[in-house]
Amino acid sequence: MQKTVRSFAAALLAASALTTAVAATTGQAAAQTVLRLDEVAVGELDPGKATDYADSILMFNVYDTLVLPKQGEVGYAPHLAESWETEGNDFIFKLRQDVKFQSGNPLTAEDVVFSFDRMKELGQGLSFVFTKVEGAEAVDEHTVRFRLSEPYSPFIASLVRLPIVDKKLVMENLGEGEGEMKDWGQAFLSSHSAGSGAYKVVSHNPQEETVMEKNPDYFLGVPDKAPDQVRLRYSLEATTVRTLISQGEHDISSQWLPPEVLKSLAADGAQFLTETGGGAFYIKMNTAKPPLDDVNCRRALSAAYDYATGIRMVAITDEIAQGSPSTGAIPVGMYGANPASEVMQRDMEAAKKYLAECKHDPSEFTLEISWIGEVPIEERFALLMQANFAELGIKSEIRKVPWALFTEQVTKPENTPNISQIFVNAVTGDPDTLMYPMYHSSAAGTWQSPEYLKDEKVDALLEKGRTVMSDEEREATYSELNDRLMEIAPTIYAYDRQSVFAASNRVKVPALSDPSKSFGMDGMGFTFRLMEMTGE
Amino acid sequence: MLIFAIARVIPGDPARIALGPNATAEQVENLRLRLHLDQPLSVQYGHFIADLAQGDLGVSLYTNRPVTQDIAQFLPATLELIIVAGLMMILIGLPLGVISARYRGSWADSTIRIFTLLGVSAPSFVWAVILMLLFAYFLPLFPIAGRLADSMTVPTVTGFLLIDTLLAGNIKAFGNAAWHLVLPAFALALSGIGQAARLTRSNMVETYDKPYIEMAESYGFPEGRIARRYAFRPSLIPSLTIIGLDFAAMLGNAFLVEAVFAWPGLSRYGVAVILRKDLNAIVGTVLIISALFLIVNIVVDFLIAMINPRIRLSQRAQ
Repeated sequence: MQKTVRSFAAALLAASALTTAVAATTGQAAAQTVLRLDEVAVGELDPGKATDYADSILMFNVYDTLVLPKQGEVGYAPHLAESWETEGNDFIFKLRQDVKFQSGNPLTAEDVVFSFDRMKELGQGLSFVFTKVEGAEAVDEHTVRFRLSEPYSPFIASLVRLPIVDKKLVMENLGEGEGEMKDWGQAFLSSHSAGSGAYKVVSHNPQEETVMEKNPDYFLGVPDKAPDQVRLRYSLEATTVRTLISQGEHDISSQWLPPEVLKSLAADGAQFLTETGGGAFYIKMNTAKPPLDDVNCRRALSAAYDYATGIRMVAITDEIAQGSPSTGAIPVGMYGANPASEVMQRDMEAAKKYLAECKHDPSEFTLEISWIGEVPIEERFALLMQANFAELGIKSEIRKVPWALFTEQVTKPENTPNISQIFVNAVTGDPDTLMYPMYHSSAAGTWQSPEYLKDEKVDALLEKGRTVMSDEEREATYSELNDRLMEIAPTIYAYDRQSVFAASNRVKVPALSDPSKSFGMDGMGFTFRLMEMTGE
Repeated sequence: MLIFAIARVIPGDPARIALGPNATAEQVENLRLRLHLDQPLSVQYGHFIADLAQGDLGVSLYTNRPVTQDIAQFLPATLELIIVAGLMMILIGLPLGVISARYRGSWADSTIRIFTLLGVSAPSFVWAVILMLLFAYFLPLFPIAGRLADSMTVPTVTGFLLIDTLLAGNIKAFGNAAWHLVLPAFALALSGIGQAARLTRSNMVETYDKPYIEMAESYGFPEGRIARRYAFRPSLIPSLTIIGLDFAAMLGNAFLVEAVFAWPGLSRYGVAVILRKDLNAIVGTVLIISALFLIVNIVVDFLIAMINPRIRLSQRAQ
């Protein structure tokens, strides 16, 4: 018996010694700096199909676009384009002549035209932002013209979603398919990069990670302090991320960690990075059916909602929350937004006054407050609203709705709940992509527009916002739109979204920690060439 | 046909889920047309069978790659994990059962019984989290996630890292891959170890009470020989059956352990594609797992027949 136990103990000891030895050998620091981060969804490498956050991170680092959002202010700055001008409805871009793809091929107007044609032809990803563009043509080797069907000033903003692809490389790697363009290089681009970006893809495993390394020939250069290698990991569990960061084996978490995990990481000394990307949490009221067809009823609910408690519900620490106070319909940082100091506040006196002017008697209806089953935090907001509205004497019932059912319900106003809760982001950072799909009367009946708003003034301002070209005119137009939307209150503007990421102290990310360096667009804060590895 | 039908009755529009909430109705409709979702189920089934006959499982909407490519990449990771877990069940579970039975009533027996009870009483993902916290966080002896250290690369030949590292002659990477396997495989195996040990113990205890054991003892046969040859061997069959069933079940059940240890395996892929209603990938994954389940059970039946002469002889007689 003793012999057996001794043998077992010896075996355990040997295994332990072996693992320690292996740990020691593999724990040796590599000479190059490595940044490790994670995202919940698989990153789509094909830039023509990019939609979500992980895709955007890949796209903004592997590919370049004609323009980039300005850092710390609204508007767009030239990037691959040196300059642009308008001619009627057309936009004409002069390209830089010193840009080469990672393959070594020079970037020309033909590549821009190819990238646009490819995106339109595939019809996936964010191709819908180019619906007003009839076509693109190469005027000469470094000049490209986009022909638009009608005046559309947000087109410049849309270009941050048109990554330029290496035509020659893609044409050499066309997969099976019909016609001259076969598969448009979809098979190739789903696992290879064909961009000019500051980082090139070394390997891509959709279940595990995408590994990228610096492109030494990047046309703007890549600072030495930027990470040499980046490993974007996919679908890590919260427990795993927490352990990895604590053990120094991970650098930046996704924004989807539960608040309690973020809190515990902060207690371990992790820093918080934040990004406000032109998105907000909207509580939408169905204006097509009683009692919220009455503007005073809607105003009463808007005034009765407890904005401050709503922010506390998404707080991580006393200083950081996954939302910042709303100032109106348009999130702070976009054209037309109210100043950050003019935050929405609860006003029960005003709420009672508005309710008294409502044509419906509150005792005669029960509001249906829905929440999306896949977003548990919305249930808490539904309960908050139920309590807030009860103080006005308004009865309500809370209903959980799966996303798939919700998108079906909102296609008919009579099936749409009185109150729905939605997180919406401007995919290009321009207020047009946020406001038009929500409030233009032609857009009613989608998940973004369960208000069924029909307001001529709102329609006119949304259309004007698409035609005026100068920054000043756009600011004035959207400011007027913001005021109008506050006045008719189709929505309770609950809070502006703020993504919070836990990070180790081995990395500095000015675009996610310094408001004067932020891009105001989801995912662009993860521009790796602008990050600094501290060597800690 | 059943797999094909089940994949299609899961609620949700695969095209809408694949394209995301920002996609326009036109984009969704185009994808539905491309996937033949606008056609009757019988026509869709015809397309599926025609493609399957050519070894084409279609393209995954989750990864945007051919499903066959995904399966080829992710299956070896899961197989490697469950093979090591299966070996742990045999190499740890059976000896623990033997020791426990041989020294029944002793402190070793009590310790083993408590350990094995814990093993069977908590699901593997709970053990995965506990083991990670104990041996990767508080006592950083093992890696937390993945199959190989970031600093190492090995050319893919079979997809089994333990084999590929040896083929590459990279012993350091072999050790690293094995080191990465320890915690996830042990978490996955714990329940099976517990079952195998407890079953082996109870069967052996019963066997020890048989007259032929008493006779062997009275002849003065060595203890070890009695335990190995006369007590353990007849007790092995139920344990082997359980290990075989556990091994096959791990193909589908490993997803939570794979998720905790960020193990890029087929099990995790299977759950991800079900949540996204990725029809082609669901059908492909379920087909492969079902086929492997059958193969494993056939192999276990064969092994049992090898061990138990009564079964082998009765089969021959038939």
